[in-house]
Amino acid sequence: MCHSNKPERTMKNLKYIYLVIFLAFTGCSNDEFLNREPTDILGGDQVWANDDLVFSVMADLYNRLPDYQGLENWWEYASFDETFASNAGDYWRHQNQEYGYGDWGMWDYGLIRDLNLFIQKCEVATEISTESKTRFLAEAKFIRAMVYFEHVKRMGGVPLILEPLEYDYSGDPTYLQYPRAKEHEVYDFVIAEMEAVKDDLPNGSTRSRATKGAALALISRAALYAGSIANYGQLTPEVSLPGGEVGIPAAMAAGYYAAALKASEEVIALGTYELYDQDPNKSENYSNIFLNKSSNNEIIMAKDFLVQGRTHGFTIDNIPRSLREENTSGGKMNPSLNLIQSYELLDNTFAELPTMDASGNPLYYDDPMDIFAGRDPRLLGTVIVPGSSFRGKEVDIWAGYKLEDGSVISSGQLGGQAQLPGSDTSVQVVGFDGPIDQLEWSAQNGFYLRKYVDTSVGSGQRGTGSAVWLVRFRYAEILLNAAEAAYELDQLEKAAEYMNQVRRRAGFPIDLTPGEIDFDRIVHERKVELAFENHILWDKKRWRLAHRIWNGVTTDLTNNPGNALAVSTRVFGLKPFKYYEPGSPNNGKWLFEEFVPAPVFNAHRFRLGNYYSWIGDNVRNNNPKIVRNPNQ
Amino acid sequence: MKSSLLLLIGMLMILPLMAQTGTTIQGTILEESSGEPLPGVSILEKGTANGTVTDLDGKFVLTLKSDNSILRVSFIGFKSQEISIGSQTNFDLQLLSDLGNLDEVIVVGYGVQQKETITGAVATVTSRDIDKAPSATVSGALAGKMAGLAFRQPDGRPGAGAWLQIRNMGTPLFVIDGIQKDEGQFNNLAPGDIESITILKDASAAVYGSRAANGVVVVKTKQGKRGESPTININGYYGWQNWSRFPEGVDAYEWMLGKADADINQFGNTNISAEELDKWNQGTEYGYKSFSWKDFIIQGNAPQSNFNASVSGGSERTNYYLSVTRFDQKSVFSDEFEFNRTNVQSNITTDITDKLTVGMQINGRIENRENPGVPGGDDYWQPRFALFRNRPTERPYANDNPDYPANINNIETNWALLNYDRTGFYENKWQVLQTNFTAEYEILPDLKAKGLYSYYLADNIFNTFEYTYDVFGYNPETDEYFRSGGNDNPYRDRGQTKIMENVWQLSLNYKKTFNEKHNISAFFLNERIERTRLFNFVHAVPTNNFLDIIKFADTDTYNDERQEEARIGYVGRVNYDYAGKYLLELAGRADASWKFSPDNRWGFFPSVSAGWRISEESFMYSFTTNVDLDELKIRASYGQLGDDNIGIGPFDYLSGYRYGASTVIVDGENVQGSSNTGQPIDNLSWYVATIADVGLDFSFGSGRITGAVDYFHRKRTGLRGVRNDIFLPQELGYGLTDENLNTDSNSGAEIAVNWNGKAGDLVFRIGANASYARSKFVKSYNPTFSSSWDQYRNSREDRYNGIFWGYEVTGQFESFEAINEHSVNIDGQGNKTLLPGDLIYKDVNNDGKIDGYDERPIGYQSGALPSMNFGLNFNFQYKGFDLTADFSGGGMYSYNRNWEMRRPYQNGGNLLASMYDDRYHRADILDINSEWIAGKNPPLRFNTGGHSNYNKNSTWWLTNVKYLRMRTLEVGYTLPEKLLSRWNMERARIFVSSYNLFALDNVHQFGIDPEVADENGLQYPQNKVVNVGFNVSF
Repeated sequence: MCHSNKPERTMKNLKYIYLVIFLAFTGCSNDEFLNREPTDILGGDQVWANDDLVFSVMADLYNRLPDYQGLENWWEYASFDETFASNAGDYWRHQNQEYGYGDWGMWDYGLIRDLNLFIQKCEVATEISTESKTRFLAEAKFIRAMVYFEHVKRMGGVPLILEPLEYDYSGDPTYLQYPRAKEHEVYDFVIAEMEAVKDDLPNGSTRSRATKGAALALISRAALYAGSIANYGQLTPEVSLPGGEVGIPAAMAAGYYAAALKASEEVIALGTYELYDQDPNKSENYSNIFLNKSSNNEIIMAKDFLVQGRTHGFTIDNIPRSLREENTSGGKMNPSLNLIQSYELLDNTFAELPTMDASGNPLYYDDPMDIFAGRDPRLLGTVIVPGSSFRGKEVDIWAGYKLEDGSVISSGQLGGQAQLPGSDTSVQVVGFDGPIDQLEWSAQNGFYLRKYVDTSVGSGQRGTGSAVWLVRFRYAEILLNAAEAAYELDQLEKAAEYMNQVRRRAGFPIDLTPGEIDFDRIVHERKVELAFENHILWDKKRWRLAHRIWNGVTTDLTNNPGNALAVSTRVFGLKPFKYYEPGSPNNGKWLFEEFVPAPVFNAHRFRLGNYYSWIGDNVRNNNPKIVRNPNQ
Repeated sequence: MKSSLLLLIGMLMILPLMAQTGTTIQGTILEESSGEPLPGVSILEKGTANGTVTDLDGKFVLTLKSDNSILRVSFIGFKSQEISIGSQTNFDLQLLSDLGNLDEVIVVGYGVQQKETITGAVATVTSRDIDKAPSATVSGALAGKMAGLAFRQPDGRPGAGAWLQIRNMGTPLFVIDGIQKDEGQFNNLAPGDIESITILKDASAAVYGSRAANGVVVVKTKQGKRGESPTININGYYGWQNWSRFPEGVDAYEWMLGKADADINQFGNTNISAEELDKWNQGTEYGYKSFSWKDFIIQGNAPQSNFNASVSGGSERTNYYLSVTRFDQKSVFSDEFEFNRTNVQSNITTDITDKLTVGMQINGRIENRENPGVPGGDDYWQPRFALFRNRPTERPYANDNPDYPANINNIETNWALLNYDRTGFYENKWQVLQTNFTAEYEILPDLKAKGLYSYYLADNIFNTFEYTYDVFGYNPETDEYFRSGGNDNPYRDRGQTKIMENVWQLSLNYKKTFNEKHNISAFFLNERIERTRLFNFVHAVPTNNFLDIIKFADTDTYNDERQEEARIGYVGRVNYDYAGKYLLELAGRADASWKFSPDNRWGFFPSVSAGWRISEESFMYSFTTNVDLDELKIRASYGQLGDDNIGIGPFDYLSGYRYGASTVIVDGENVQGSSNTGQPIDNLSWYVATIADVGLDFSFGSGRITGAVDYFHRKRTGLRGVRNDIFLPQELGYGLTDENLNTDSNSGAEIAVNWNGKAGDLVFRIGANASYARSKFVKSYNPTFSSSWDQYRNSREDRYNGIFWGYEVTGQFESFEAINEHSVNIDGQGNKTLLPGDLIYKDVNNDGKIDGYDERPIGYQSGALPSMNFGLNFNFQYKGFDLTADFSGGGMYSYNRNWEMRRPYQNGGNLLASMYDDRYHRADILDINSEWIAGKNPPLRFNTGGHSNYNKNSTWWLTNVKYLRMRTLEVGYTLPEKLLSRWNMERARIFVSSYNLFALDNVHQFGIDPEVADENGLQYPQNKVVNVGFNVSF
């Protein structure tokens, strides 16, 4: 039975097998099998035929706008004298003597190329509407100007590349070597470009995208910088290069100041923006400038965040220790006593915090807040001081009990307990918020930051984060820019008026007179109004103050906080103590001691070579036309 | 006629049944190779307790108890035999030695080969060795087992695997039952289902082409044997695990005293008073009691168990192996941190016709990791971090009341919270099914065609729920507890992965012998591999701690991914040997990977190898018989292999915009940003590895002593580099893309020797192996340096990889005078921060200061595998007893102490006891003027990483590790067959074993396991395990 069928079946199988082998070794298209489609890459033709996709590319370019100090890199705020970093990983900022020449350097021609490519492609795009095209082009040019401004303030003049360059693979790339533009040429480009596109941009309606207001604000700021470099650069003739890559001729100062004033007044004239003034409590009002996103006409441009979209950890990092919503982190920025005592008294005068009387005895206060009383309300809008409240809860900052003999009873643990002399029960001897020496993530120097710290519940949680936005341009800065430009142009009336607008909103009852406006006032007003807004470094640089106030000399806290030239090389703190001497009238009262937090070893030294950052060897090796920056 | 013939045949067949109860049989048992009689051989009538042993002349006599008996003849060191008793009463039997491995069959690429004809460098380990290591993963069981396999297991948590590399060449390719798989799949096979693991170390791996450049690990699972009656095996063990080592911290008094010491060292004063220290020293007063976090967290004796049941056997046409295994492992922290896995394996092959054989293999597993949901990435981190992050002055509960977890400095490391009740849960589950279908058809007697289709489906889900919780303070005055903090961050996430893989293979196999001496075989194969991975991730901020489901309104993140891979290979291999004497193999594989641009997809990887079995030569005859040499083979191989894992993404050859590159919020709207993908990378192709290997195989005394020696050299060309002689200005905005330009090499040698022997009733197997492999960067395209220092410090040209640079410590300052007299500026601040006991660095360039220019090579790679690996394996059997003792070791790698292992009071937490115990300090800690007392360690400083002692890698902190480790130590007892036979059992064995009992090494003084890699020393180390177990067969 089997026998008869067998050969035939084998034959059939053989045929089948041969077929399979044939298919295996010659058949099916290998290419088809190997070609797979990407799941996240859009082709250029797909993008440039669709407004939404073009905007998606644009959004990414907005996203790449650089911020030296910001909510996503809080630690850079601790590099100068505004704040102490209560975070062991950042103590080095107070221990390094000198700033590196490469610090805050930038040479991002990858971003510039992407912007140039965008502009190039947008110009030839035919499948999007002219209206969209005009706006996209103006926006891309705004971002490009911002990026060049960012370069020039860090590096001085850089090559102005305005078309996407292409290498021809010929082996000889010398044709791609462009020299650095003069410093003023970059400023001129930024100003001219914004003048050219400002009317292609909408007036208001968005605070994330470029607007006419933002373009003018950029002119206002850039022209002011250029003007002050031309003006104050005369104080540091060694900070310049013969080719003008660094340094702006003094003769150009007036023109820039005029441009800054004009652009600022154009912003004012738009009528779109106003100072935020909605809360009767002026401190509250000040902190809400940064927290209120819904009805706030002060903000011209901001980097926005969104819960259930994209948030940042600024609040997680900086919320007072006892209020934190996470069991880790918190309290990393401790604003310095240097900054805190800079806030004027309400009568427009300056004073140190009164900790001692004339003969050197401690002053006793009933309430820890008393020592801060009568000061610029912006202080409490910027800083959480001992005894103040945040999120409706009093913050518990005190360093311990001070005994009659001057000794201290405290604890190494927040809210720690110990026995006071003559008692056999333990009581709390230090605040739940610090300060405790070297205990990071708490008010190690006696203060917490309030500005930008989110009050909404959940913003201090890793899983949620904060959606507070990062303000890049706001109306108050425009007023201060106008005030400074007017002052430099000897229009003191105007300067006083613009500055007083800001000060009235801040809560000062008495205006400054035009005669009271001087350089110290200009410097001071920006210091307190714009603290923690990424201005300190650029302002101190353009005024050529940086090497004088951060001079590397170990100096005590100034007793003249209004002086623009006061040296401020180390960050100080303030320890509140409770006095313990049963029977004494001062028992239970508060006294304060200034101190230097233990991790602060060395004085900041800003060298002349820090005014313009180091241009990397890789940049100069590849393009011999790039000259080095001076004094490095 | 016909019918009478049938009757006759029938009668002949029935005859064997006629053996009668009471029949007496007798016989002689001889050793097969020598013909000598064997005394002491056990003869057993199967299914009864009736048996005997042979006398001194190898003779036996036995009276049968039953009809139709089967005799089982067994002797230690020999292969057992079973004989049906017919009418025969007189038996002369020859027993085959089980000691040598002359006829060993080795699994090689896409098939098996006789060991004697192999021309490549391979090493094999079989089930009997794999089974003995109580490891959660297959990789963990391979330490010291194969020459050429580099091993390090830094992590010992439940379910952890080891780092494996073949000849330190990089991550190898894993091939399981002919299918290319990944390391995770390899690690989570049930070790008991593995028949053998072979590593292909040289160009013999070329048949695996595109991904074989780092060697191949080939796994074969167990199969039943044709014609073997079903055997049921049940194996199990239960054991207890404890950490091999972990660094020790100090107690509260020492902590406070050390803190006072550190304060005075750093600032000249402290606010810790003598009275306070006294209270801590007494440790009785409220608030002054020391707390041991280690005793609180580390429970020890964590259980681990493995149970396996399998059945295997076969008929004439079918063979099968079916198995189920369950493995459970808990952590030393608590039962809540655990790993478990259930594996099934089913291998069935059957002949449908004489020519067509089909088979199906199913491998499935469910793999679970579960533990409390601890905030932060790695849930096993906080419990270990706690041991050094928490101070011994802190306590887990407010007022020691377990209802109120305390607010300690770092709440996340409060172990009181790290449990399912308080912090939540995490679970990670893999469900994996691999199915292979095969069909083999004999086209001609010499030509076979085979088809294989394999489908793989893996499903992974991880679920995290981290609850909110409160922590408390206690006010003794009012006897009140108050909330003082906690976790207000409810966290919920879920990630799901699905992986689907299709593999098609079609092959032809031809094998023929011409003129009796020319043996030719040829093999061709076409393979297609396709893999799709789907992944999604959702994160939510739940509104409560109770409900498991995730609602859209609570979510804030959703990610979705899909990736595909596709590879094609055409393999050809021809083997020729002449009279089993001269061996030649030619192999090649053309491979394409989807990852490269269409023009660069294909690579061709040829190899050639040859062998000469000198021992087969007639002129060697007198020599071989004199020294009892049975095999001497010289072999050499040379070939190329490819690697498509060159660090580019699969679509880097396209230009366009990457959608979702950023999340941008525009006026409160969530916009997905698209970024320019940049210059397309369309010129890159395979790395090509050229491996040369020369080896020698030998065998003496019928396989009693065997061994192999190999030397190899691998050169990889086409490594990524950039043509740096064209200076493209950065202002261009893009650079030249990498090309296949650079070269590196890797060379080394290995030796393995095995000795199988017998002395009286003692049978033993002793194996030793050692290997050395180290890689070197050979050359880059046009190396350029800005200075001779730059060249010295940064050049890689013709240098070993993994050189550790650091400072040389020449000693410690003994006094302030010595510091003052020291002319070299060590701390950059004129030595004003130095104290007696601080480290003196060698000013190599004599410039009067210590800086980067004083760095020199001081060690080997620190986070990688040892360059030197060795193993020693002992196995003894004496009567029913057996003893296994395995050792493994390594050297030529470095451990760099840092963080907790370097800085006292890192993060303000605890400090290493040894740093406290033996240190430079003042006679009276609190008196800054008292004299200094010398110690081994530098004086204490509190949480200071910036000091010159701590901010440099130096010979003080670096140890070039060497270790020898006891791996398995196992004693077993096999019950006598006589006893078992009564219960119808074939085999029963009980054993006690230990694993990692001790290690001899040069890092024990730091409390570090020699294989730990984390610089902070807080890695979960390997466990010491003690097991009891059994093996039973029916």
